[in-house]
Amino acid sequence: MAHGDIYMAGAVLSFYVLQWFGNFWLALIIVPVAIGLISIPIERFVLRPFEGRPAVTMIATVGIAFIIQQGVLGIYGGTPNKMPDPWPVYVNLLGVGYPGYRIMIACISVLIITALWLFLYKTSYGILIRATIQDKEMASAIGINDNRILMATFALGGVLAALGGVLAAPINQVFYLMGNDVILLCFIVVIVGGLGSLKGTLIASLTLCTLEAGMTMVLKPIEARVAIFIVMILVLVFRPKGLFSE
Amino acid sequence: MKHRNSCQESEETGGGLHSLMERIKVKRSSLLFLLVLLLIIMIGPTLPSGIMSLMLEMMILSIFAMGYDICLGYTDQCSLGHSLFFGVGAYGILLPVLHFNVGLWLALLIALAITFVFGFLEGLISVRLSEAYFVIITAIFFFIFFLLALSMTWLTGGDDGLSVQIPPVDLGFATFSVYNRLVNYYLVFFFLVITYIILKRIVNSPLGNVFISIRENQERASFLGYNVFRYKLAAFVLSALFAGLSGALYAIRLRYGNADFFGFSWSVNPIIWSLLGGMGTLVGPCIGVVILSLFQYYVSGWWSQYLVIVGVLLIVVLRVSPKGIMGYIRSKTQEVRWKKVQA
Repeated sequence: MAHGDIYMAGAVLSFYVLQWFGNFWLALIIVPVAIGLISIPIERFVLRPFEGRPAVTMIATVGIAFIIQQGVLGIYGGTPNKMPDPWPVYVNLLGVGYPGYRIMIACISVLIITALWLFLYKTSYGILIRATIQDKEMASAIGINDNRILMATFALGGVLAALGGVLAAPINQVFYLMGNDVILLCFIVVIVGGLGSLKGTLIASLTLCTLEAGMTMVLKPIEARVAIFIVMILVLVFRPKGLFSE
Repeated sequence: MKHRNSCQESEETGGGLHSLMERIKVKRSSLLFLLVLLLIIMIGPTLPSGIMSLMLEMMILSIFAMGYDICLGYTDQCSLGHSLFFGVGAYGILLPVLHFNVGLWLALLIALAITFVFGFLEGLISVRLSEAYFVIITAIFFFIFFLLALSMTWLTGGDDGLSVQIPPVDLGFATFSVYNRLVNYYLVFFFLVITYIILKRIVNSPLGNVFISIRENQERASFLGYNVFRYKLAAFVLSALFAGLSGALYAIRLRYGNADFFGFSWSVNPIIWSLLGGMGTLVGPCIGVVILSLFQYYVSGWWSQYLVIVGVLLIVVLRVSPKGIMGYIRSKTQEVRWKKVQA
């Protein structure tokens, strides 16, 4: 629940870093690390007591989201700001000038997804994470420090959300409610793909976003989003646990 | 979120003496109920209008809170999307009055019927899912309809909303305008009492026991032969109905409704009410409403970002007292009773 606002916080922080240091690439490194460091104590002191009770944890993250959102509103203000294009290069793509920054984002996200997949499925640490999520008690019984794993997972989620926020900041406007736009789509994607399945999430996000983008050509944006929502309901009716869950 | 009611255990130890005490206690609680009833009725005409509107808001939201607790406190379904029903109830009463010029009672019936349909359809899809999915799905539902209400300005008025004049009500012996302060007060109060009585009866009936057994152990309830899905759906629809009722009353009070009736705060507030006041009780959520309303009324005046405090409050309440204020009171009274029984 709080990840939409962590995403927003990433964007806002990158706006500040850009102001202070004047370098976007620096923000790309500093901000996710900072957010990751912040999210570790959040997990340890706020969410740890509710561990094992998903609904309560979610409500607690709603509380966190409130705090982040209103805090940003208080410090950063309610007016949206535009960030300058960090890489003002236009690539000639099939005769159309396409902003180079967007292509770069595509490359970076492919890189990150590959890295994440390799991390989760090919490294020993990834195996530990998956084992802990599958059966926490069993994992801790065979000597995995499950608390540290959960902390690391939460921090990793925060880092990725912040990275997304930083990358999206120059494209969208930096606004204290920008997380709300994303979180709905994220929820739908995760539900359709199935919780705990990287492959499912990836496929669902690609298809759904293509679908939405395709439909905005003929429909209004809101109608396109409703159409995606209907797709989600259909998926849930036939596969209650999402398309790719095990 | 699960807690066991230790009342049953202590009942056996007391024997005949205890059953007598139990009867006195029941009498005492119903006496207290009547007293509160009378107090609210008597106090009505004397209230200054500021306090009156605060009282009205509290009573309307109490209906919402008690209904919501059937879902959260009795069957352990943590819905994050009850603002959908709140908004549907509000528009369910605004649109018929505005377009078809129907009377108050018919409009209320229409509002409840529409809420029922919404609750039933959403319940069919979402109730059978596991806990984490349920929270997310209900959130998606209300979010989609929130966006729809914002964008379909021809129907809902979007952010600007619709304002409406409810025609005077004919009670057979006299006609009243809903906008008379006292009439509005007693109307809302009437619905609050009705809600309390209906829910109290449901909670104390076998159906309520099934709800509690589902909360305590869903698998065991299904082993005992109960169709868990159907009971959870019933609880969900029931809570949706009362959310719709309170949304309708809220719209009547404000003579107005806008897309904010679907907003996030109406989804989060019921959770805070229930947690603060005590889940699995009917009075608890009302206490939660009173506290949070007073809090918002006074704090939002001098600090616009009081939502930060709401967020902190949410986490602290979750952390400190999973049973809420009512749970605390109950455990205290039980302690006292235990001491009496032992002595």
